[in-house]
Amino acid sequence: MSAPSDSRVARIVDHLKREWQLYAMLLPTIIWLIVFLYKPMYGLQIAFKDYSIFRGVAGSPWIGFEHFDSLFNNDQFLRALRNTIIMSVYGLLFGFPVPILLALMFNEVLNQTFKKSAQTIVYLPHFISSVIIAGIVITSFSPSAGIVNTILGWFGIDSIYFLTKPEWFRPIFIGTGIWQEAGFQSIVYLAAIAGVSPTLYESAVVDGASRWQMMWKITIPSIMATVIIMLIIRIGNILEISFEMIILLYQPATYETADVVNTFIYRQGLQGGQYDFAAAAGLFNAIVAFVLVITANTISKRYSRTSLW
Amino acid sequence: MTTTIASREDIMRRLTLTLAMLGTTAMTAPAFADGHLQIVDEPLELTIHMHWPRAQGYGVGGDTNEPYPVELVAREMTGISLVDATAGANTTDSNEAMNLLIAQGNIPDIVGGHLIKQPVNEFGPQGAFVPLNDLVAEHAPNIQAFWDDHPEVLASITAYDGNYYYIPYLPDGKYGRAWFIRQDWLDTLGLEQPQNVEELEATLIAFRDNDPNGNGVADEIPYFARQWEEVNRLLTLWDARSSGSDTYHDFYITDAGTIAHPYAQDAYRDGIANIARWYEMGLIDAEIFTRGSSSRDFLLSENLGGLTHDWFASTSGYNGKLAETVPGFNFIPFLPPESAAGVRMEEHRRIPVKPDGWAIGHTNDHVIETIKYFDFWFTEEGRLMSNFGVEGKTWNMIDGEPVFTDEVLNSDAAVNSQMYLEGAQIQRGYWQDYRYEWQWTAQAAREGIELYDTEDLLVDQFLGVAFTEDEQAIYDRYWPSLRTYMLERNQAWILGTGDVVEDWDAYIETLNEMGYEDVLEVINSAYVRQYG
Repeated sequence: MSAPSDSRVARIVDHLKREWQLYAMLLPTIIWLIVFLYKPMYGLQIAFKDYSIFRGVAGSPWIGFEHFDSLFNNDQFLRALRNTIIMSVYGLLFGFPVPILLALMFNEVLNQTFKKSAQTIVYLPHFISSVIIAGIVITSFSPSAGIVNTILGWFGIDSIYFLTKPEWFRPIFIGTGIWQEAGFQSIVYLAAIAGVSPTLYESAVVDGASRWQMMWKITIPSIMATVIIMLIIRIGNILEISFEMIILLYQPATYETADVVNTFIYRQGLQGGQYDFAAAAGLFNAIVAFVLVITANTISKRYSRTSLW
Repeated sequence: MTTTIASREDIMRRLTLTLAMLGTTAMTAPAFADGHLQIVDEPLELTIHMHWPRAQGYGVGGDTNEPYPVELVAREMTGISLVDATAGANTTDSNEAMNLLIAQGNIPDIVGGHLIKQPVNEFGPQGAFVPLNDLVAEHAPNIQAFWDDHPEVLASITAYDGNYYYIPYLPDGKYGRAWFIRQDWLDTLGLEQPQNVEELEATLIAFRDNDPNGNGVADEIPYFARQWEEVNRLLTLWDARSSGSDTYHDFYITDAGTIAHPYAQDAYRDGIANIARWYEMGLIDAEIFTRGSSSRDFLLSENLGGLTHDWFASTSGYNGKLAETVPGFNFIPFLPPESAAGVRMEEHRRIPVKPDGWAIGHTNDHVIETIKYFDFWFTEEGRLMSNFGVEGKTWNMIDGEPVFTDEVLNSDAAVNSQMYLEGAQIQRGYWQDYRYEWQWTAQAAREGIELYDTEDLLVDQFLGVAFTEDEQAIYDRYWPSLRTYMLERNQAWILGTGDVVEDWDAYIETLNEMGYEDVLEVINSAYVRQYG
């Protein structure tokens, strides 16, 4: 009840009175986070329990690390983990620069009609359902009627049954992902480019800079903060491979390179109703992702002074 | 015009039934009024979860405000009405709906629908469902009579604690899939139907090389299938097995009467070697693994496919559908060719009991009335109604046989789809009557079924086991990975990225390292406990 704390409370109340509209706007997001992300975390404990949906989360007995034990004694889980990391890293390596390049290229296009229609065309695949995309991929790579094998045929190359070849799965999957999402992801960078002050370009023109130089010296450095933030977010989601696409495209013949943690969980856990085991695998996946995002953030903070927090 | 009249008649009939229901006694509906099926004196309402592929809720097409015509008559006959309490009405995945129902903890009086066997056998012993053994023995003479005649079916639905917890949907009829061949192609090439595996190979080669579709291009696909798993059905031609039930890659009952997996047998090695050879030779659709469910439509309508293994009823339908677009099209069932050892086998058959049906929830205060109600559907009247719908509306008794009306048989909608809207053929616990399907089976399929009946083609099915919690833990620990490994090798060998004969010893060794023997042990101990 001392005077300083009184005045502090008063300050806060005062602040809230003045800025309540801002807090009201923040409220729905906070509620959403609590209801859909924090409350469900209560259920994570089933990873350490012999869970029965009838007994409920609280009523199921604790079994410690048994699920994790069976997870790490399973070669197929380790293989799935390896595949997840390889595909994520490749996806990042090849997939991350493409939307940036696209945004830079769109920025250089002078004809507005061409620019608008080209943008629409590259955004489109994002809005198509995965099932249809998978259908297009399967047809395109079909050994009898697919366009890819038809083109290979022109050069006298025998047709290849791509989707049953383990060595082709990753390129096809990653390529499909880039084709589907790169256009839509470029929007963020286009927005960042639009935010670059025109005066910079004007003075560069006065100094006689070429468009190429302006891109390298002005555009890219100006959007670097956005690029790094996107990179950190991307690294945080690195293990969340679009597994519905894998399920649609893979075969037992390609499990060797195609099976990822999520598809493993799907086959092992959810198809058999083993929620506890699936939760253990999911929790492990989340921990790896968490470590990755912390690491990326720390590195970025040290070297570029840009970070999420 | 006719539809308007029909629907007006429909409304009138519904109205009559509703009015009849509103009457205090059954007197207003003399057709069902003798009361010998009456279960309760005072009307009783029971809640029901009914989730299955055709309707996510208990009512016409899942619309719970519109009771099934069959339900209205059943109310009249028994005094019991079912009120919808289906969980997960917004998902079509019945497993998910069931998990939701149990997780929310508010289990209705009756829990029914698709794929309930696994959950009731898991959660029944934990107390979620009422064991039915004594109830049926005391109060359900018609169900008991069925068990007395079919003890193996009762054994198959029994949980590990020796009790059973649901009354299943019991399909009728023997055959499911059959071998189909383009008889017109055979005629064009001057060939007879192949009678054994050598002749079959020669026929497939002729389909590949001799241009039976006559377009001058070697584009024929001798053997194709909608499901890639059907490529393994060819194993039976070399005396191996692809599955022991109507589920792909399932365990099977060996000649010694034990349970084993077909993909760990020596016969499988030799069978796969031959399938790989056929694949290499181009006798099997090169794209069988990715062509998918529309391949039958595509390959038949494009006049490309020669032979398949698929369902009697739906596959026979193509002769009518393609009569105009593919001149002379004649795709008919033929007897399974004799295997290398001289055995004719049709491995696929209708399973006599489904994992679908209904169970009694632990909160039900009227278990005796409920089991009597379940029994009602096994009485003569109840069984007819559960199969054919309401008498006088969709069918009539002619010379002691239930016969669908012309309106039902000649409708654009398939008879089963019409029945689903009547409340017949829905996945309650009932005993199907094959006479229902025979009436609308295409001529080619009827002839095929008669042909298959001339030989003893079917083999015993493995109807599954119920594990104790410990057994389940072992099975869950090893089986999913084993199955994954088996299928990976299976496809690799067929595609030619490995040689089955060379790899075989290492394959068997790996299976053992991965716990195959442990899985066999639990499955066999459960099998012995359950089937004696």
